[in-house]
Amino acid sequence: MIILFVVLPLVVAGLLPLAGKASKRLLPDLLANATLLFLVAYAAVAGRALIADGPVLQQTTWLGEALGIRLVLDGFSLFMLVVVALVGLAASLFSIDYMEHYGAKGNFYALYLVMIAGMNGLVLASDLFAVYVFLEVAAVASYALVAYGLGRDELEAAFKYLMLSVVASAFLVGGIAVVYGMTGGLDFAAVAMALKELNAGPALAVASALFLLGFGLKAALIPFHAWLPDAHPSAPAPISAVLSGLLIKVSGVYALTRVFLNVFGLTPALSTVLLWLGAVSAVAAAFLALGQKDIKRMLAYSSISQVGYVVLAIGVGTPLGIAGGLFHLFNHALAKGLLFLTSGSVQRATGTRDLDAMGGLAKRMPVTAATNLVGALSIAGVPPLNGFWSKLIIIVALVQAGHPVFAAVAVLASVLTLWYYLLMQRKAFFGRLNETWAAVREAPFWMTASTVLLALLCVGIGILFASTVTTWVRPAADVLADGIHAVAGSWGF
Amino acid sequence: MILQTALLAVLVALSVLAIALKDLLRSAIALALASLVLGIVFFRMGAPYAGVFEISVVAGLITVLFILTIALTKSGDEVRESKLANIVFPVVFVAFLAIDALVMKRLMGKVPALARGGEAGTFGEVLWKGRTLDLVGQIAVILAGVFAVLALFRQRDKHE
Amino acid sequence: MSNTWYLYLFFAAALVFAGLLGLLAKRNLIKLLIAIEIVGKGVSLLLLSTGLAKAHILTAQALVVTYIVIEVSLVATALALIINIRRQTGGLDIRSLTRLKG
Repeated sequence: MIILFVVLPLVVAGLLPLAGKASKRLLPDLLANATLLFLVAYAAVAGRALIADGPVLQQTTWLGEALGIRLVLDGFSLFMLVVVALVGLAASLFSIDYMEHYGAKGNFYALYLVMIAGMNGLVLASDLFAVYVFLEVAAVASYALVAYGLGRDELEAAFKYLMLSVVASAFLVGGIAVVYGMTGGLDFAAVAMALKELNAGPALAVASALFLLGFGLKAALIPFHAWLPDAHPSAPAPISAVLSGLLIKVSGVYALTRVFLNVFGLTPALSTVLLWLGAVSAVAAAFLALGQKDIKRMLAYSSISQVGYVVLAIGVGTPLGIAGGLFHLFNHALAKGLLFLTSGSVQRATGTRDLDAMGGLAKRMPVTAATNLVGALSIAGVPPLNGFWSKLIIIVALVQAGHPVFAAVAVLASVLTLWYYLLMQRKAFFGRLNETWAAVREAPFWMTASTVLLALLCVGIGILFASTVTTWVRPAADVLADGIHAVAGSWGF
Repeated sequence: MILQTALLAVLVALSVLAIALKDLLRSAIALALASLVLGIVFFRMGAPYAGVFEISVVAGLITVLFILTIALTKSGDEVRESKLANIVFPVVFVAFLAIDALVMKRLMGKVPALARGGEAGTFGEVLWKGRTLDLVGQIAVILAGVFAVLALFRQRDKHE
Repeated sequence: MSNTWYLYLFFAAALVFAGLLGLLAKRNLIKLLIAIEIVGKGVSLLLLSTGLAKAHILTAQALVVTYIVIEVSLVATALALIINIRRQTGGLDIRSLTRLKG
């Protein structure tokens, strides 16, 4: 019953406001986290067995009649479901303590679960319009979540985010309409087969450009990134973690790769565009991150840079490159989620996000400082943490595919990343304790617990990287590397 | 077809008015009228349900929401719009229309298309058997909208 | 039917472009939202006329209905944001929203 991934969070979200009436905190906390825990268990434990003999196509029946709900679970979507559930769970555990003073917890979790349901629906959808619909579900929930604090900055960021996001969806629907006009179908399989038959060059290029604009805006690739450094830092910390760790990846990178690789087929021209977009984002955003004083803005620019890394790797188009890109997506989701959560702990303890005002916090917040260090080193790609392996695979793939220049760019971006993360770690946590923070205490239990969970995952995956790659990343990369055959051959209903 | 073209032209004119008019209330009404015309266009295209939705939901509900917001936020503070934009943008728009008129027909001729059989059944069957997942999505997006509005208008009990 | 497709597309493109220009030119938050609505009208006309050209009007109709539902929930969220912004800044000018800069 893979439809549970969409329906369960929705049903719980519908119940939460009622639960919030009965008990203000305990019940919402319990329900939301239990739901996400179930999704983690379901995806991670049962999922592998489900797709053992190829992708699962599920058509839901209702009272014996076949309904038009066609969901597909293959290696790639299962991989994304696991990522969404893991980071979603960590951020929601963090919210138990963090969202305490925002009020209306039931409402918060309801929006949060709708966003998770939207992402899961997007990942499982098997037609273009359904991708758009679920992308919008997640987006509408995220506007409200960004503005959840109701402060001036939050509202401003949410409004700008909404404006750009709506333009992105308009481009997407435009692209969908062009494809629909050519092929007469919306189903991935039907579209892929029809496009192969049609051999439509220029018209497909127009559609690709529209999709690229739409997904590029959602993924915040440079030059479509302007909204992200406002929206992600302004949101409450667990929401920043989910937006940066998951939403830009699901509604940007996942949707982009699924459509371009599995439905349109990766042409050399498209591959070049992706390589350039990725390389520019990776390097330019790293430079921009270096100049930031606000800890969460630095993290936000870093997200743009790392998503650029992922797109660069997927643009290579070789199985190794795709595997590296997906593995990096996974690692970045964990590590960036972790870093946004620790930055939330710091902000909550000190009341500031200004790196220059911090200093020496490691003495007062040892666990937060340690987990932050793990996350920073992981993204920066220091062995033996998980981020090192994915970056290594990406660089090897770039060299193998005959792109030494892009490989050099990737190395440069890595060096820059290490630089600004060390800068952040030193300014915030190391050095002499700033007198102002003498009374600062370690974050509450659930906040530290969720960061420790993510940090352990970062370390664990770093050590067990080989088995992670073979169990989770390989099946996902195989689907993408198969190109349109993965969809056209086996996805017919 | 002539009537349809005329309706579409009125639709574009009303939309431009909705953007260009100074008074917010008037532009909200222009938007509602544009929706009404679009609904009629949908109806004449053989899509009665889309037409009804466009008229009742967009021309009705959304207009009410707009007017409510305008009433709630007005207090004599005028937003000065850019003078330059008021001169430049109409020119750009007319230029776009000219290009649009010149190239659109030829562009469409270039789009390769597969000939496919039409569809059978009624709207209800297509919606329920063909696109049920969209209905799940609709429920989800309505939930998102409701929770979003509740969250944005909640009473801040402790903070502030 | 596809000989009339370009006609619908001509008007749909005009609507989308008018909306995008409005987004660029206007400073009033409500005006910006109205411009977004115009873009949405263009897009729904595009969807429906594509379905008409493919003799798939029923499917296209289903898509447009979903699109309209999404639009409503989006507009409600955006208007709630605008009312909150009005409370905070005392105005509706996008230029007063310059605390954050890209």
